[in-house]
Amino acid sequence: MKKNLILLLGILCATFVFANGQFEKAMGKNIPAMFSAETPEAMQAVINNLNRIGEAEGDRWEPYYYVAFGYLRMSDMVETADDKDKYLDLAMKAVDKGADIKPNDSELEAMRGYVQMIKLAVDPATRGMTYSGLAFASFQKAIALDPNNPRAHFLMGRMQYGTAQFMGSGTDEACGSLFKALVMFDKVGEPENPFAPTWGKNSTQQAIKQLCEKGDGE
Amino acid sequence: MKTLLTFILSLGILAANAQLNISGVVTEKSGEPLLGVNVYLKGTYDGATTDIDGKFSFETSETDSLVLIASFIGFREAVLPIESKGQDLNIVLKEEVSVLNAVVITAGSFNASDENKREVMKPLDIVTTAGATADIPGALNTLPGTQTVGETGRLFVRGGDGRETKTFIDGMLVHSEYGPSAPNTPSRSRFSPFMFKGMSFSTGGYSAEYGQALSSALILQSKDVTENNRADISLMSVGADVSATRAFSNGSLAGKIQYTNLEPYFQLAPQNLKWDKAPAGLDGNFAYRLKTSKTGLLKFYTNLSSSRMELFEADIANPEVDHAVNVSNDYGHFNASYRELINEKWGIRGGFSLTHSKDFASLAENSRDQKLNGGHVKVVADYQHSDRIAILLGGEMFQRNLDQILTDASGSFVQDFDERISASFAETEAFVSSALAFKAGLRFEHNNLNDQKTVTPRFSTAYKTGTNSQISLAYGQFYQAPQNQVILTDQEARSEMAQHYIANYQWIKDGLSFRIEAYEKQYDDLTRYSNVYDPSTFLFDGHGYARGLDLFWRDNKTFKSMDYWVSYSFIQTKRNHRDFPGSYTPSFASSHNFSFVMKKFIDDIKSQIGVTYSFASGRPYNDLNSEEYLGGKTPAYHDLSFNVSYLYSSQVIIHAMVNNVLGINNIFGYEFADQPNEAGIYASRAITPPAPRFIFLGVFITLSKNKGINQLPNL
Repeated sequence: MKKNLILLLGILCATFVFANGQFEKAMGKNIPAMFSAETPEAMQAVINNLNRIGEAEGDRWEPYYYVAFGYLRMSDMVETADDKDKYLDLAMKAVDKGADIKPNDSELEAMRGYVQMIKLAVDPATRGMTYSGLAFASFQKAIALDPNNPRAHFLMGRMQYGTAQFMGSGTDEACGSLFKALVMFDKVGEPENPFAPTWGKNSTQQAIKQLCEKGDGE
Repeated sequence: MKTLLTFILSLGILAANAQLNISGVVTEKSGEPLLGVNVYLKGTYDGATTDIDGKFSFETSETDSLVLIASFIGFREAVLPIESKGQDLNIVLKEEVSVLNAVVITAGSFNASDENKREVMKPLDIVTTAGATADIPGALNTLPGTQTVGETGRLFVRGGDGRETKTFIDGMLVHSEYGPSAPNTPSRSRFSPFMFKGMSFSTGGYSAEYGQALSSALILQSKDVTENNRADISLMSVGADVSATRAFSNGSLAGKIQYTNLEPYFQLAPQNLKWDKAPAGLDGNFAYRLKTSKTGLLKFYTNLSSSRMELFEADIANPEVDHAVNVSNDYGHFNASYRELINEKWGIRGGFSLTHSKDFASLAENSRDQKLNGGHVKVVADYQHSDRIAILLGGEMFQRNLDQILTDASGSFVQDFDERISASFAETEAFVSSALAFKAGLRFEHNNLNDQKTVTPRFSTAYKTGTNSQISLAYGQFYQAPQNQVILTDQEARSEMAQHYIANYQWIKDGLSFRIEAYEKQYDDLTRYSNVYDPSTFLFDGHGYARGLDLFWRDNKTFKSMDYWVSYSFIQTKRNHRDFPGSYTPSFASSHNFSFVMKKFIDDIKSQIGVTYSFASGRPYNDLNSEEYLGGKTPAYHDLSFNVSYLYSSQVIIHAMVNNVLGINNIFGYEFADQPNEAGIYASRAITPPAPRFIFLGVFITLSKNKGINQLPNL
């Protein structure tokens, strides 16, 4: 009987590990695929995979984080403002789904701000006011939730840079945020959660090179 | 125990062994294959995305009660159980009617919102229009369907009088929405455009939800919860204001206090009017927003203001004699609204508003003292039956109490009324497809004073004729209580009625919009009288018509960082009402109205410049020295206005504007002396703007941690 019980436990554990393995395997495949997809069709397929994972798991926020990122990237692959809005709205819905599962998550709030920032970029003249307020508020919230989230600082820096450029004012504040992001990227150790977002270091370095290490002439 | 184990083990083995192939094709109803559809087994990782031919194929090791789902943006999800064989499935997805693809009924209405790309106006457009002086009616007057009536500043829509347009904030009626002004000078709306996130300006045929407006409904949606803390200071040539917004986790509180005084400006810029005390006023606005749940929102809004002015007006017959004119107003408006989604199908919204307005106006020894108390309560339920059918049901009550004391040399004359109008309405919107929509509504009203019960129908429809174009038709019947003085004299005075027929064509593509709209409007039951203070002279058989054509073109694409629109309205209108001896074109109607509005952002000087040119053909006026009734005609109206907003720094903006740059002396009509002189001629005087030009300068400073926020959108 004892033996049987151990066997049962073993099987249960195996099932658990198997299930976990399935999630890891699927995420491990689809996260890089999301970053490398170059056409709306390829991206839609990756997003569909991620949505299936999210729906089947029910309690994981990560798939929805990458669905949001996928739609955000997809909005950049289409031309018209209507199409861009369509994908950005879907991205926002995915952020909401993730936040339903894990409320007050710094990464999800940073992603929310990212979507709002791109939504602003679709029509800056009319959306400037509402969406700059929304995006700044989201980045601030993301930073408050986790002051060490490098992506929140990186996105905040980009938002500050865009605003400074529009206003024709100095970019010190923006560069400050970008440098802060870089310091945090360097500090980040091995993540506890292998599916938590890790992207952004290269983009930060690039942004610093382009925006903050030029002479004052630009 | 052993059996259980075996069972679990065998399940595992079964799962590992039985690989089922599921494949097929997904198409639209028309047979067109769909690319990118997510086809999967419910609750599993197993699935595929359709290819360009709509084909999908995947393997699964699942065996138990398989449910296949096909899901795609813009289509209704298909759910189908799969038996042991899952090959060559043919799945047809039905299009879902959504905000993104559905045709929108546009006949009679101009909508402005930040969100919808297909709307021709944005709230920001209102504030940046040159010549509008950041006044909502001022900006809407550059749209087709409106008529320039420069001496009032109000919205006159399609042959309708100014009082035939009603303003609603968050669904609640606003009484006395214009601030006070000196005789024959334009008044301004009490509500600042930057309070609102969206607006719908209907020039006819509007929803059964709105009543008591014969011509037009201006429906304003106030902003929701604000996310950022900020403080603003404005220093203007006409006064100053301070405002602050505090955001907290699920709500926000905002307040603004403004003091205006035109005295210093009038000292510098000579005025045609002889001011004793230039208009001065204190104005406070407070808004509180609370998110009561994920979908629930509670809003409170209050506006309090007080203003005074004193001037002298020359006697028409003896210009050397001055009469003192006094105008004062104390005003309070409170507005509360709430909305919540009860579940996926039912939503509810409602609210109430209270308005108190005390107006005093005197000319020499004649004065009019009015006290208005108004209330409005409303509840609306909406039911979303499916993506194709929605139903709106609601009830509301308007209470209006007006006391008036007229005083002249002979004594005082007191009149009042206590009006209560109860109404209920139902409306349904049905989409046959995303390209064809119908809306039908009924409104029932009962007025306690004249005991009239009215049932009015409203119909509208829209059909997409192409990706970018659509046609839309509307019909509606509208009742409105007659003008206040008529009710004061005869409480049982019948309500006035109008019918609208509207046909609209709209084409919108990537920053280009074109609209053309034709309409016919019939007025009935208009009040006629020979003396407005004598009820025995009242007849309720007046009638009239207005018909015309409105054109609108907007382009923010062709020229870099430049946006312009052109509108033109043609109208023919006549009515037999008030003390008219027959059917005549009223003095507020001009046959041709034209506006050109341009805005351009110039990066090099960090400034947005705006230009507006408005034209209106001559308006009739009643020349007492002519035999012909309303036989006079004013010269045409021209106005060219400029504005500039300069971004001094990210949080400091300098704004300047000049109205009527060319200083054209526009004549809005003529006033005549009460009695003819010895020669039998009535002395007259032209009604003109109080000054040829109006110049405004302001510095707007924002204090916020967030550098992206400034007052630019407020200008």
